Amino acid sequence: MYEQEFKLIFDYAKDKVDDIEILYSGGNAFTVSINQQEIEGFNHANSAGIGVRVLKDGKQGYSYSEKIEAQALKNMVDEAVENAEASEDVEDVEMANYPEVENKPDVYSEKLEQVSVEDKVQFAKDMEKYALKADERIMNVPNAVMGSVKSFVKIANSKGLNKEDMQNQAYCFVSALVSANDDKRMGMDYHIGRDFSQFDAQKLGQTAVKKATDLLGGVEAKSGEYAVLFSNDMMCSLLETFSGVFSAKAVHEGRSLLKGKLDKKIAAENVNIIDDGLYPGGFATTAFDSEGYPAQTTKLVDKGILKTYFHNTITAKKDGVKSTGNAARGIKSSLTVAPTNFYLEAGKMKEKELLAKHDKVIKIVSLQGLHSGANPVSGDFSLSAEGFLYENGKLKTSLKQFTVSGNFLQMLSDIEAIADNFQFNTSSVGSASALVKKLAISG
Amino acid sequence: MITKQVAERVLDKALSNGAEFAEIFVENTYNSLISFNDNKTKQCLAGNDFGAGIRVFYGHTAIYGFTNDVSEATLLKVAAAVSKAAKGKSKVKVQDFTKLEFENKHEIKIPNNTVAKSDKIDFIKRINKAARDYNDQIVQVHISLTEKMQDVLIVNSEGLWAEDSRNYSRVYASSLASNGKEIQTGTEGPGGFAGYEFFQNIDPEELGSKTAKIAVTMLNADYAPSGKFPVVIDNGFGGVIFHEACGHALETTSVAKNASVFAGKMGEKIANSVVTAIDDGTIPNQWGSENIDDEGMPTQKTVLIENGILKSYIVDKMGSLKTGYKRTGSGRRQSYRFAPASRMRNTYIAPGKHKLKDLIADVDYGIYAAKMGGGSVMPGTGNFNFAVSEGYLIRNGKIAEPVRGATLIGNGAEALLKISKVADNLAMAQGMCGSVSGSVPTNVGQAAILIDEIVVGGRK
Repeated sequence: MYEQEFKLIFDYAKDKVDDIEILYSGGNAFTVSINQQEIEGFNHANSAGIGVRVLKDGKQGYSYSEKIEAQALKNMVDEAVENAEASEDVEDVEMANYPEVENKPDVYSEKLEQVSVEDKVQFAKDMEKYALKADERIMNVPNAVMGSVKSFVKIANSKGLNKEDMQNQAYCFVSALVSANDDKRMGMDYHIGRDFSQFDAQKLGQTAVKKATDLLGGVEAKSGEYAVLFSNDMMCSLLETFSGVFSAKAVHEGRSLLKGKLDKKIAAENVNIIDDGLYPGGFATTAFDSEGYPAQTTKLVDKGILKTYFHNTITAKKDGVKSTGNAARGIKSSLTVAPTNFYLEAGKMKEKELLAKHDKVIKIVSLQGLHSGANPVSGDFSLSAEGFLYENGKLKTSLKQFTVSGNFLQMLSDIEAIADNFQFNTSSVGSASALVKKLAISG
Repeated sequence: MITKQVAERVLDKALSNGAEFAEIFVENTYNSLISFNDNKTKQCLAGNDFGAGIRVFYGHTAIYGFTNDVSEATLLKVAAAVSKAAKGKSKVKVQDFTKLEFENKHEIKIPNNTVAKSDKIDFIKRINKAARDYNDQIVQVHISLTEKMQDVLIVNSEGLWAEDSRNYSRVYASSLASNGKEIQTGTEGPGGFAGYEFFQNIDPEELGSKTAKIAVTMLNADYAPSGKFPVVIDNGFGGVIFHEACGHALETTSVAKNASVFAGKMGEKIANSVVTAIDDGTIPNQWGSENIDDEGMPTQKTVLIENGILKSYIVDKMGSLKTGYKRTGSGRRQSYRFAPASRMRNTYIAPGKHKLKDLIADVDYGIYAAKMGGGSVMPGTGNFNFAVSEGYLIRNGKIAEPVRGATLIGNGAEALLKISKVADNLAMAQGMCGSVSGSVPTNVGQAAILIDEIVVGGRK
């Protein structure tokens, strides 16, 4: 697909650049949101765009166009050349024809494409219906959303690389607002997958409501230091927020706490952190990264020891290592590094056993303010949270909104135990519930 | 961008299944980003966003579709797809187009694409130098300069034909201070609904050293205490409290669903009587201003709260249909990829009559938040959180030592009632506000306010 456009760009750029990489990204997306059994929003998207990364005298320049016609594509190349000339960043950059992975991961389901719009709309309606019926304390269902995405990526460079990838997936989420005695709480549940038959509207609707009602009637947390258990999805959120500290680019730019920490102990012994671009069924799974480099499985933290950072070929050259297949860019952004399927390996214990490890444990099931109250550079966080107080392993009470504060690296060192209830969140970050020795709680 | 004949045929197709309303939004945007780090211009990226979105209404249901291809054939295809999403009984026909005339309140003196990249890079380098010269604890400075020139065409079945050109300029500077063990950041991000002249009116040395000062101050600060305290939140980005905790809950997106604590409260007292809050899209060349909103309605100055009484919501076209309140010219979207929704523009708490020092003098022991970071809110519950990026303790009515790592949490409706004093030093600050219709430029603002009691989450 798009052979003609790619050829036009290669031909036009030939005498203007040393090397060029072309990235096409397009696809279609559908979302429906339901409110009171009526369609509240219905979106139908077709998108396409081409971006180029050019190399001239060791400097990179970028440009993109959503207008896919000859003149616009030529302008795009000229703009990219101008941008390369304006750059002052001479780096050891190379484009190459990288090999394919041995076994191409399965990232497309033809069957998912057969699911009708009517079925998706009905599914979202059902989620709302089951949520509304689940408990009499429900006020409303602010979100009942079902969506699907099909995306196509093609990447080629002047060294002969030419790779394509077609992916699809469906997702849904439902949130419920409940109240009792002036206390209002929100609960949310979601599912993503390629097998529509695994989407369970009843379970999702009921879980969202239960997550909210469980929190009702909380008491104020007494401020102080507590052992804290983060539920699996909240542990995912924290890992997601701080995943950037593992970026080699952040390390080189002095923006990572992990600078100079290679082969050093940065976490408790039970902590293994992995990035796996080939994780079966993962939603960031892909055969190649944004440089066309083959995806791989990378152990970042092994028994608490930092083994490597995320690399693309440029950061890898600087450090004298190989790329870890974590190059990332969209047509409108420059080349960087980012995780794929990024996870904290699960442990063997039940969450219940973790909660019984201390006289008092605060279990956190909701965190807000991750984009503002967490500083990915310093690792400091102070977040608004909701959860429960456990005493001697028994649920004592739910808690009113409180804050939890600490530092991400300190927290990794203080992880006492990890449960077995592993799951991925919507951003392809995975974790089980984890118990942290102590964190500051303020009620 | 498209002809009247094409527009008419596409709208006609969009209405063909009995929809009451159809609209086309076409956009042609030039985006440019220069990113500077490590004493070097690291990346220059520019490109062209181009596409069209088609929206139809069936009762209170909005259907939206978009495409990058604005050929008649593709637009008709998208129109057919959105029209088939529902069925209506309306027999509405496309009205003859009348070009919307409006006064241009936001003059663009120097279009950004007429200025050489080298001039822009020189400006960036002056900021970088000033930040690094401030103190040897500054280890890194990151600066980005973003420019956006957006041409829009909004056409609808009611006969609207509206065209406008928008020009945004913003520079974002972030200084990192380190003592070898820890890192703290200081950031500023001034921006305007203006051309390149916006940058010429900024003192780059002042901007650079300001970010460095915050980073160094916070690096050498102790952790904030935890507990309930009175808090003085200073002007400018301090207005994020109102934006997050109240502004979002006044958007008809949440009001119409009854998902807002302020639903059904029109004319009632929702804030302390010292509070008057305004959302104004008309202030010349301000970051959140526009001549017309993304539904083609001229923007206006909307008084949201007057002396504590709720006077208006923030209303878009669909919000108006759902709630019965008049549109306020607040239908906004990030791009053609989003259906418009009710959004804030330049939102601020109007100045009172006190001096900042009077507010501080009222507090025996509490927090002075000189500069706020970002935050978020759950519209249903009104619970909010936001970070203090430059904070100090107040002891015996005087600003004392700096503190870091503080987060303020509370409830929007309760906090509004606890604002007991408002100072006279109104200022605005720029942000990108994310919501259902994407990320749009908004100003937050206020004069300094005293909140009698709020939960501070610190580390001590």
